Amino acid sequence: MAKRPSVRTITEPAREIKVCREADVVVVGGGPGGIGSAIAAARSGAKTVLIERYGHLGGMATGGLVNIIPNLSDIYGKQHLYGLNQELIDRLDRRGGTSYPKKEDWGTTDRKVVDYYLDANLGWFHVRHDYKTDKQRVHYTAVVDPEILKDELNDMVLEAGVDLLLHSWGTRTITDGNTVRGVYFESKSGRQAILGKVIIDATGDGDIFVSAGAEMDNDCDNKRRTAWLALVFWMANVDIRKLDHFRASQPDKWGELLQELSRLGGYPNFFKGILRNQPGVLWYHCMQPQPERTDAMDVEQLTRIDIKSRKRALVTYDFMKKHVPGFENAYIMLTAPQLGTQGGRRIVGEYTLSEKDLETDEVFPDTIAVLANNDFGEISSNHPALCIPYRCLVPKRVDGLLVAGRAFSSADTVNETFNIIPHCIAYGQAAGTAAAMAARDGIQPRKVDYTALRENLGKQGVNLPKIK
Amino acid sequence: MKTIKEATRDTRVACEADVVVVGGGPGGIGAAVSAARNGASTVLIERYGVLGGMGTGGLVTIIPNMSDINGKQQIAGICEEWIERLRVRDAVAAPKKEEWGVTDKELVKYYFNRIFFYIRQDRVCYSAVIDAEISKCVLNDMVQEAGVKTYLHSWGTEPIMEGNECRGVIFESKSGRQAVLGKVVIDATGDGDLLPYAGIEFEDNIPANFRIANLALCFWIAGVDLRRAEDFKNNQPDAFAAMQRECLKLGGFPGYLKSCLNNQESVVWIHNRYPNKSQVDVEELTRIEFEGRKKMLKTYDFWKKNFPGFEKSFIVLTAPQLGTRSSRRLIGEYKLTKADMANNEPFEDTIAIFPDLDRGQESVDHPNMFIPFRCLQPRNVDNLLVACRAFSSDEHVQEFFNLIPHCIAFGEAAGTASALALQAGVSPKKVNFADLRARLIKQGVPLPDVRAGVR
Repeated sequence: MAKRPSVRTITEPAREIKVCREADVVVVGGGPGGIGSAIAAARSGAKTVLIERYGHLGGMATGGLVNIIPNLSDIYGKQHLYGLNQELIDRLDRRGGTSYPKKEDWGTTDRKVVDYYLDANLGWFHVRHDYKTDKQRVHYTAVVDPEILKDELNDMVLEAGVDLLLHSWGTRTITDGNTVRGVYFESKSGRQAILGKVIIDATGDGDIFVSAGAEMDNDCDNKRRTAWLALVFWMANVDIRKLDHFRASQPDKWGELLQELSRLGGYPNFFKGILRNQPGVLWYHCMQPQPERTDAMDVEQLTRIDIKSRKRALVTYDFMKKHVPGFENAYIMLTAPQLGTQGGRRIVGEYTLSEKDLETDEVFPDTIAVLANNDFGEISSNHPALCIPYRCLVPKRVDGLLVAGRAFSSADTVNETFNIIPHCIAYGQAAGTAAAMAARDGIQPRKVDYTALRENLGKQGVNLPKIK
Repeated sequence: MKTIKEATRDTRVACEADVVVVGGGPGGIGAAVSAARNGASTVLIERYGVLGGMGTGGLVTIIPNMSDINGKQQIAGICEEWIERLRVRDAVAAPKKEEWGVTDKELVKYYFNRIFFYIRQDRVCYSAVIDAEISKCVLNDMVQEAGVKTYLHSWGTEPIMEGNECRGVIFESKSGRQAVLGKVVIDATGDGDLLPYAGIEFEDNIPANFRIANLALCFWIAGVDLRRAEDFKNNQPDAFAAMQRECLKLGGFPGYLKSCLNNQESVVWIHNRYPNKSQVDVEELTRIEFEGRKKMLKTYDFWKKNFPGFEKSFIVLTAPQLGTRSSRRLIGEYKLTKADMANNEPFEDTIAIFPDLDRGQESVDHPNMFIPFRCLQPRNVDNLLVACRAFSSDEHVQEFFNLIPHCIAFGEAAGTASALALQAGVSPKKVNFADLRARLIKQGVPLPDVRAGVR
């Protein structure tokens, strides 16, 4: 094996880097946060550049095969997330690229309906427990077709007039004192620079703000979902009828097999594919805890987990094929092109959302999104929605920079539940709109007028509460 | 040109190794596995989360042209090992060994109907369709078992140079910019990404009518009732042809390739060609991603409506990696040219034999192409080798001999040579050729008898 000295360095000499673009707003990362940011900024009139590491947009929702936009309504069926989230789902709907419970079923406790949605997907996608009535309820969660989504996102970005660079890895900020002025990125064209008035870090992991020296938090309890990496995969050609029959007729045997599979290091849990024409497809979201703390910003661990996850997928495949009726002719259709990162660095912003905010029902003067609060048990029943202040996208001290995505300023408890795709789109929509306003007015993002920002978001169809 | 000054900086050295391989595609796999097996401490740096490059992430799931016109297997070694490991798992489809080279019309028709890669010069040829997902696992196993230290999700960007000697590479990852130092660096990036920054001579002229001038965005459609689709094709050829014309007119693709893999009858794949100005220009790569995705959807929508068997299909995946076919080519110690495609004499430093099958009568007259080690060596820089489609060749040689099996062979030679050179304490350019040849043969690489001083 290679030797690894501790802190040896080499000196890279100073050099001139080509500036390939100058823009009002530069968005780094084309996942849900970046999409929201770039579209909103461009539609608000800012000259906007978006750079994305992979060849497609959508991040975890497409490349990560986390093809679910959950918690659009609260457990009682009231929709909170609109704006770009709803626009996206409408566009997918027109192409048959999404699947979600019928509107009249949102919030229902009707056992038959609940059972239908539970069985359809073999999972919690569409159902949440209401502690007040001790009943399960259907809510508005959409499953999306990753390939159709890639194309729709391309269309939306282009129609908005965003200047897009794919296969471009944004690596570091260009800073001037405390102010971010642009980013460096790597691509097949070599290292280049893009300058901008506001830079939005939508890398998910805070790759950009860390190089700007922004204060951040990286603590995460290992028990949390956000501490684990996942490599999602799809298994195809499964005879679902045969599988369901086996599960129903031999539940003990089924249970034993799943235990044995877990023991062997495989993944016992899966969902039924519920997109159109996917009757024999299973989704393995691989949300099982990892045995040890993983750090999504450490390339050594990313490598190790990627290799290990692939092994675990193969163990699962071999085992199911051998032992479970219905899997005889199955094959692994695909593994996610992007490793599933669920949490990482979090910015320390002007406001940090913490657990206490879940129970205050506070309407912040700078509320930029209302999120359904569906995953905190009893708290969720009593406080079905959570307001998000703009300040948790604004770093302390560092100027010229906003954060849009799961790296928003939050305690790990809050981050675990509110860092999912629809939330990131919402953070992005707010950050992009605010960035465009700051660029236009020649002010820092932290000085953007809250009332004007909220008005602009309202015009875009974002659902916001009245401020007293 | 506006520029900005990036200040001098200290970059952390992540590790040091004997051999550093940049790029985990077919060339990089061959290079890393063979270097490590020959005793070199080896680091492999790969941009994506998977190994295999075009063979996996590019959905170019075919390893073609391994047997020559006589049915003799000429490409083996690590390439055959990859396939053998897939065979154990029933994850590969290829004509049986006893059928390679056979001209029997019925058999030829049968295999041609499976997939055209199986037939060359009206004969059955050893070409293998591989399972992309299982391949990813198998390649992970191969590098791990060989003891290679792998960095996935790591983009090797530039060489570290001291005068005209290469000392390592810089790479970007979620851990930030880091360096890996190495005694030999192997550029297996496909595009020769390290060449311009190492001051190595290269060329990139490609005639527009060549295959290699095109990018690809391969994709898979699943949920296809293949029997109905094939019945339509075979029993209603006029209607099928009319449908193809209509689809082409609308900007779609005219047809598909069958999966050929066991249990995957309902999957078809679509290979394609997109003209472009350069395959290493980020603006062009972006443009083709968009164009490719649009064209794919047009095809899918049209087929779903008009192609029997596609009613309940869905697009399961577009290739996570854009299909790059050629860009920079090293100008090395020996440059393979058109003249070599008519020469049947082996080189003294032959490191691989490639069946020549795609050029009609010329291929019949010249059944095999010999590859000299020198076409992996830069002229003016030391400690760096090229092991990918950027090998030293003119556009004609490049057009036919830059495919997956070829790149694995370049890699196997470069990795082995690097390890042997380090053991002997010489530069990889000065490796003893008889030793390299003996070692490659021992690894199962077919090589010709050579006479000293012939070419």
